[in-house]
Amino acid sequence: MVNVLDIKVVRDLWSMRLQVLSIAMLVAAGVAVFVMSVSNYRALVGAMESHYRNERFADLFAGTTRAPLVIADRLREIDGIGIVEPRVAKPVRIIREDTNLPISGRIISLPAEGQPLLNRLHLVQGRWPDPLHPEEVIINAAYAEARAVRMGQPVEVVLNGRLQDFRVVGSALSPEFVFATRSAVPLPDDRNFVVLWAGEDAVASAFDMKGAFNDVAMTIAPGSSVRHVLDEVDRLLAPYGGTGAYNRGDQPSHRFLEDELAEQETLSIFMPSVFFGIAAFLLNVVIGRMVEAQRGQIASLKALGFANGTIALHYFKLVTAIALLGSAVGLVLGCWFAVGVVGSYRAFFRFPSLDARFEPWLLVAATLVSVVAANLAAATSVYRIAVLPPAEAMRPATPPALQTFAWLQTMGSRVIPLQYIIAARTTLGRPIRTVLSTIGIALAIPLILFGLYWFDAIDYMIDVSFSRIERGDAFLTFTEPVSTDTLHELKALPGVLNAELQRVVPVRLRVGYRTYRTSAIGLDPGSELRVPRDKALQPISIPADGIMLSRQIASQLDLHVGDTVSIDVLEGARAVREVIVRRISDDILGSSVTMDRSALNHVMREGPVANVAALRIDSAQSELVWSRIKSMPRIEGSSVKALWLSLFNDTIGEMVLIGALILAGFGMLIAIGVVYNSARIALQERAWELAGLRIIGLTRREVSAVIVSELVAELVVAIPLGLLIGRYLIELIASARASQSFQIPVVIDPSSYVIALLLVIAAAFASFIMIRRRIDTLDLVAVLKTRD
Amino acid sequence: MQTSEQEAEDSAAQPPVPVFVARGLSKVYGSGDSQVTALKNVDLDIRQGEFIVLLGPSGSGKSTLLNILGGLDAPTSGSAKWRDHQLTGAGDTELTTYRREHVGFVFQFYNLIPSLSVEENVRLVAQIASDPMDPKEALELVGLSHRARHFPSQLSGGEQQRVAVARAIVKRPDILLCDEPTGALDVDTGRLVLAAIAKVNAELGTTTIVITHNSAIAGMADRVLRLSGGRIVKEEPNPDRVSAEDVQW
Ligand SMILES: Nc1ncnc2c1ncn2[C@@H]1O[C@H](COP(=O)(O)OP(=O)(O)OP(=O)(O)O)[C@@H](O)[C@H]1O
Ligand SMILES: [Mg+2]
Repeated sequence: MVNVLDIKVVRDLWSMRLQVLSIAMLVAAGVAVFVMSVSNYRALVGAMESHYRNERFADLFAGTTRAPLVIADRLREIDGIGIVEPRVAKPVRIIREDTNLPISGRIISLPAEGQPLLNRLHLVQGRWPDPLHPEEVIINAAYAEARAVRMGQPVEVVLNGRLQDFRVVGSALSPEFVFATRSAVPLPDDRNFVVLWAGEDAVASAFDMKGAFNDVAMTIAPGSSVRHVLDEVDRLLAPYGGTGAYNRGDQPSHRFLEDELAEQETLSIFMPSVFFGIAAFLLNVVIGRMVEAQRGQIASLKALGFANGTIALHYFKLVTAIALLGSAVGLVLGCWFAVGVVGSYRAFFRFPSLDARFEPWLLVAATLVSVVAANLAAATSVYRIAVLPPAEAMRPATPPALQTFAWLQTMGSRVIPLQYIIAARTTLGRPIRTVLSTIGIALAIPLILFGLYWFDAIDYMIDVSFSRIERGDAFLTFTEPVSTDTLHELKALPGVLNAELQRVVPVRLRVGYRTYRTSAIGLDPGSELRVPRDKALQPISIPADGIMLSRQIASQLDLHVGDTVSIDVLEGARAVREVIVRRISDDILGSSVTMDRSALNHVMREGPVANVAALRIDSAQSELVWSRIKSMPRIEGSSVKALWLSLFNDTIGEMVLIGALILAGFGMLIAIGVVYNSARIALQERAWELAGLRIIGLTRREVSAVIVSELVAELVVAIPLGLLIGRYLIELIASARASQSFQIPVVIDPSSYVIALLLVIAAAFASFIMIRRRIDTLDLVAVLKTRD
Repeated sequence: MQTSEQEAEDSAAQPPVPVFVARGLSKVYGSGDSQVTALKNVDLDIRQGEFIVLLGPSGSGKSTLLNILGGLDAPTSGSAKWRDHQLTGAGDTELTTYRREHVGFVFQFYNLIPSLSVEENVRLVAQIASDPMDPKEALELVGLSHRARHFPSQLSGGEQQRVAVARAIVKRPDILLCDEPTGALDVDTGRLVLAAIAKVNAELGTTTIVITHNSAIAGMADRVLRLSGGRIVKEEPNPDRVSAEDVQW
């Protein structure tokens, strides 16, 4: 026979269906965000790991000017080294009829036959080059996609100053170029950066590198000392113009990827966990009150002789059913959204396969957390009621603080209508419950803010990076250092409003055994197209001599103002110099090494030269400008801010947008759920009292005023509290991560606060309408028949 | 107060116009097999200031009738009106106004607001009435003015019921409707409550209807209506009304 209490479970669920639904929705939102985010992050990490494993991403990298191939054998003898893959890798330019923008890139040699041992290619389209056809090349898939390159299409490449015709036979992904970047230019741009892989004969002969290599990828044997191997590699390559061996941490694509993943980790794990935590807390509050509202029923069950355990089990079933319903919906939604969001990642993260992953542990954990959170709340409430003698529990609870605090009794003059006194006493007379449900409403606000914050943060970072710091409209890089003559030449171009030279040099900073690989930027005094700024966005002046470091780098290297740091230049003559740290800046981008350009020239032991130009261009004449620049010699590549920004909006922008929308949407659902539940439970607990008021002749409005004013009082406290908590949590999240390059700033636009506030008010308003409707339809006669 | 007292005396002398007029009242709950008829074709006239007692077995439709007369429930068919207030087919707003201005209720469960003191519970009604008495005066009538500052949870059941009576009469209602007001009370307390009700009926000329299971209380009535199976099966005028103190049960 079916247990009667089980029938009650089903009946209760049905009679509270809207409330059950809203609680389940709360669980679902928490679970969905959690599942979606964690599985997205896991998808990225998994995609990276499998790409690296399948395509055998190297552990160590080194460059030289020109080393004979026998040196590769010497490298193989180093203790602790694994595979050694020498190759030729050189900068190239591509000429296209349809654009004036210079397109730069790299050409990398492939072994005569088959895949390289390390950094293999994952063919996306086409086929492998035929060794008998040296003109066949594989092109990086990102560029092929951005420029719509078809297989079989010819490509004109400037190699070593000579124009040579190749033919694209395949497009591929490489673990070395998950993000294709040039170190000198701050903006990665798929349209204007290309990677070509061609047979080693073709590349070697074009660069006069037969029997030699200038680049080497290596793996390290498990358990060996990276430091030691790097030192040995450096020692062996030094006579051949070695530019310093480095590991993955300094490999540009990997470093960028790591930063991105760190960012994603915040977005995907930390924030959803806070989100989920808040949802669990809210669930706790809501379930607790729901059980409390059944106080009389629990007392009657006890009076009838049911044991506490049986009663607890009854509520366990009720609450578990709700939590499971919510979790099920949340899991489905979470997985569904994860698939969508991972799809939007694909434009940005170039992996052979990037698919949402739903690890069983994650699904189980999410469900367990919600079931436990719900039951914890139910258990405490049931326990509280169960310890009361049934007689007492059967009586409607008088606000406990009413007897304790005399002022609560005497409050209210004859001017204040008594319905407000009822509201005030109920609110203040149960301080713990009031505080909990106020916090509950307040916590809904950060959930909405989380989503909106990402828009604000990204907007702010773009604004800071590209209109406050990098103020040029475009950047040019040169194949070899240029002098001020080039600057005059550029300035003289019609349509160029301003031009400035920068010296950007890959360097390794060294203090004792600590090193940091980065690019040093040399700027002219009073430079306007690149303005370093501190966290308050105030310009930072560049010391005339010595070096200026971001605080982050300084602390990694344990450097203080006045200390000496040695700079190993990783290009050209590979100068090594000691310089004095003149300033440690709190610069907003987080990690930069800046010097006066002439000071950097001095380190480089060169004249007043530069290799990057920043330009301000009159947008009306930009075509003209670029057509002139195209014909200038020594231009390696370019990037255009506007193009990059639109690319950014299509990739990261879209990614963040989707994530943020989902977060904000769920935040809203939770906000509505919490406010609705507060109101709904207040109604349930007080139906009897409210009906009494209606019977003695109070109008619907007067009766609604009781509950509405209680809710309004909670809202008035909860909203500012929620905004404050939101800001605090976002600060916490921002500080919890220390990305290598970008610090996420804590910027919340006032409009975000306003939106969060309006949404909660809208949720409250919807609840008021619901309260009003309930009060309108209160069955006065039914209420008279029972006490509960 | 003077005039209503006069009216009460008048009513004893010559039959005045009825204030409540109900015709063909029926109330059916549910439909099909589970259909329950709570009231069947009830006709009823009640005069100004009359003290009516409704008797009848459980489930006979007493509460249903009282609730319809109090503007809390609507019949399935038939009509009811109080003076010029149509009680059937009226909207919630009119019924609320009717209850607010004219009706006082006392129920078996006292229905006091737990967060308001005794005096405030009474004042709550005074606050919305057009010509209320002083809440203290109403408490005086039920003999509870010394407990004015206490909260309902600090009172006994009988005391709470007297507060409910005070709350019902503070607005000088034209009609006082009581559904088993002594149901949960012992003899002595019940008597106090009944005395308060009778006093209001006598002094304010309030038309009073009391539901009870205790036929002894019927002795206090001007007229006793007996319900059974949703019909008024017996109507007994009671020429020798006894006072609440003399009611035996
Ligand atoms: N909401 C309802 N649904 C179905 N039947 C109902 C409903 N309310 C009352 N009834 C039925 O109507 C009939 C009359 O009910 P009513 O409450 O008027 O009885 P009563 O005379 O007041 O009884 P008691 O003395 O027990 O209070 C009963 O048979 C009852 O079961
Ligand atoms: Mg009844």
